[in-house]
Amino acid sequence: MKKLFALVLCLALLVPAFALAQTEITLWTYPIGNWTDAETVDGIIANFNEKFPDIKVSVQYLDYTSGDDQVTTAIEAGTTPDIIMEGPERLVANWGAAGKMLDLSDLWTEESSADIAAAGATLKATCTGADGKLYLYPLCMTTHCMVIDRAAFEKAGALQYIDEENRTWTTEQFRSAMKALTDAGYLSGIVYCGGQGGDQGTRALVYNLYGAQFANAEHTAYTIGSEAGIKGLTLLQEMVNEGILTADPGIVAGDAIALFCNGTTATCFCWNASSAASNKATIAEGIEPLAMAFPSDDGVPVLDGGIWGFGLFDNGDEAKVAAAKEFIRFVCDDPQQGPKSVYATGFFPVRASFGDIYTGTEKAEYADYGVFMPYLGDIYQVTPGWAAQRTEWWNLLQRIFAGGDVTAEVAVYTENVNANIK
Amino acid sequence: MTKAVKGGSSLSRANQRRENIAGYLFMLPSLLFFLGFVIFPMGMGLFTSFFNYTMTDFTFVGLDNYRELIADPIFQKALVNTVVIVLVSVPVTCIFSLWVAAVIYRMHDRYTSLFRCIFYLPVVTGSVAVTVVWKWMFSPYTGILNYVFTNLGIISRNINWLGSADTALGCIILILLTTSVGQPIVLYVSALSNVDASLTEAAEVDGATNLQVFWKIKWPQIMPTTLYILVITTINSFQCFALIQLLTSGGPNNSTQTIMYYIYYNAFKLSRYGYGSAMGIVLAAIIAVFSALQFKLAKSDNG
Repeated sequence: MKKLFALVLCLALLVPAFALAQTEITLWTYPIGNWTDAETVDGIIANFNEKFPDIKVSVQYLDYTSGDDQVTTAIEAGTTPDIIMEGPERLVANWGAAGKMLDLSDLWTEESSADIAAAGATLKATCTGADGKLYLYPLCMTTHCMVIDRAAFEKAGALQYIDEENRTWTTEQFRSAMKALTDAGYLSGIVYCGGQGGDQGTRALVYNLYGAQFANAEHTAYTIGSEAGIKGLTLLQEMVNEGILTADPGIVAGDAIALFCNGTTATCFCWNASSAASNKATIAEGIEPLAMAFPSDDGVPVLDGGIWGFGLFDNGDEAKVAAAKEFIRFVCDDPQQGPKSVYATGFFPVRASFGDIYTGTEKAEYADYGVFMPYLGDIYQVTPGWAAQRTEWWNLLQRIFAGGDVTAEVAVYTENVNANIK
Repeated sequence: MTKAVKGGSSLSRANQRRENIAGYLFMLPSLLFFLGFVIFPMGMGLFTSFFNYTMTDFTFVGLDNYRELIADPIFQKALVNTVVIVLVSVPVTCIFSLWVAAVIYRMHDRYTSLFRCIFYLPVVTGSVAVTVVWKWMFSPYTGILNYVFTNLGIISRNINWLGSADTALGCIILILLTTSVGQPIVLYVSALSNVDASLTEAAEVDGATNLQVFWKIKWPQIMPTTLYILVITTINSFQCFALIQLLTSGGPNNSTQTIMYYIYYNAFKLSRYGYGSAMGIVLAAIIAVFSALQFKLAKSDNG
């Protein structure tokens, strides 16, 4: 009896040792589609644990208001998560450039590189830091577009100014449409500039109007201060002064989207497939959202791109790094799980082999947003000094819409942002 | 006898020592907390303010951060805005709180409690909830303020309250006032209720007017409360941050930029921890000077 008791005690003592064999990793994720939803993410982790029962993944959900502060604090306190899910502007240009992230070159196999290159030739370059290291392993991508209320456009006689099939319009047509809407009593649209939230919309609006580039191809300088950029900003200033467009330094994109959904405005300069899904329930009766590309002088837009995936913080634990890489491989590369992981984001796969993941599903309308993918432009958000640039951008818009001289204000902006490039 | 005295004295000293030790032990938890969460961070802040401390660098730069902030036009703007907020909100908060307290402390207990609750509500309500409501009220498209003012004929067209450099800081001060008056009102009600009634009655019997009773009898007795309110309101006003972050991000055109928000922006958005620390030290010094002045003035008033 005593021997049996001793044996049981020994076994009991071994239980924690077995438990210790399990590797625990932490994942922090920004709100990327349904990756904010615990049920969805828990489902993905449960699928992962079917294959890898010895790896425990705990999740913390970040938001764009305080997420950066939490990560910054964690970096300084040495409490960063093992995995973080976001885009290259943070993973590559910010934390990667600061030497806080691990090189993920081994995840970029020949097969995955070729598959991702087939979806977008420049995607790999976007995930690469200035030091040549790959700090991001991508899962999904999208293009940011704008949205109009088709019903309002129809009532205002402005449908004639848009190419409904290709979702494009020219700068001149945009101006005419805004005037028609204003004449019909609508609040045509608001150029929001109260902060950095959703600033991809105002950037794309400005640089598309006359074919400017926000940053150069080498990502070594911000170039919106070009003649074309100044022309675009001047046009917006004129339209605001004419009263056919509104500028508001008191709101950000989230407010502008809410004003569009409740019918206050007839257009909104910040939209994508995920916005369409998350705001579906708030769209007032009679509003017919129609996603549109930004207007451009030649009618061929270049859209801001978003690309999201995973990065690893350098926490100095090889076992955790190995476990985290298994998780990333499973979520992004597994033939069954990969498309499901992308589906949860509401965006499009970076792997061409995943094909159309929305047609015939509950999110069939997301497939419509695929029409914009050919317009995906350079992902210039990896240009150094990005965080400071974002603040300078909305401050520039505020100064211009307060009546500032466009050329002089753009010169101030260009000097400030390029001074931050190191 | 001598022995007994000596014995009694040593016993007394032992008791005293034990009491001292017990006293220090009781103080120890809060002392450790104070040292760990107040003194140590302050020391670290001062230390890092002499470094170019970023995510990738930690180089000693001496007073460079201080030199830079003196020449930084946004810091100067933030300093002016912060001082304006303090100079407006502190007197208004104190005067308004005293006025409200003077009116409600003589009411029936039930009504005094009701008004205390009403004025204290914005204090206990989360700042996010408060700002969401104010943002809605200030909205140039659907806000109730524009609706009321245009219908009353006070304004001819909707005003973008938070989007205009002329009105944004005023709006921030207004919201700050609503969240600041609760505690002073409660404190003043309590202080006024504790004023010695025999003194006021004696003064009234001697023919003193209401104003004289207030200035000569009540005001000196509530001076310690006033001093406390002045100091905490000053500190709170200097540290105005949440409203700015949630409503304007310091805009438009830095018209609502405050030192606290600029510290946050530099430290957390640009990862310039050393520069942010330098600003924090300057802010702490300014608050210390203002508080010392208030103590000094209040003491001379009392004297």
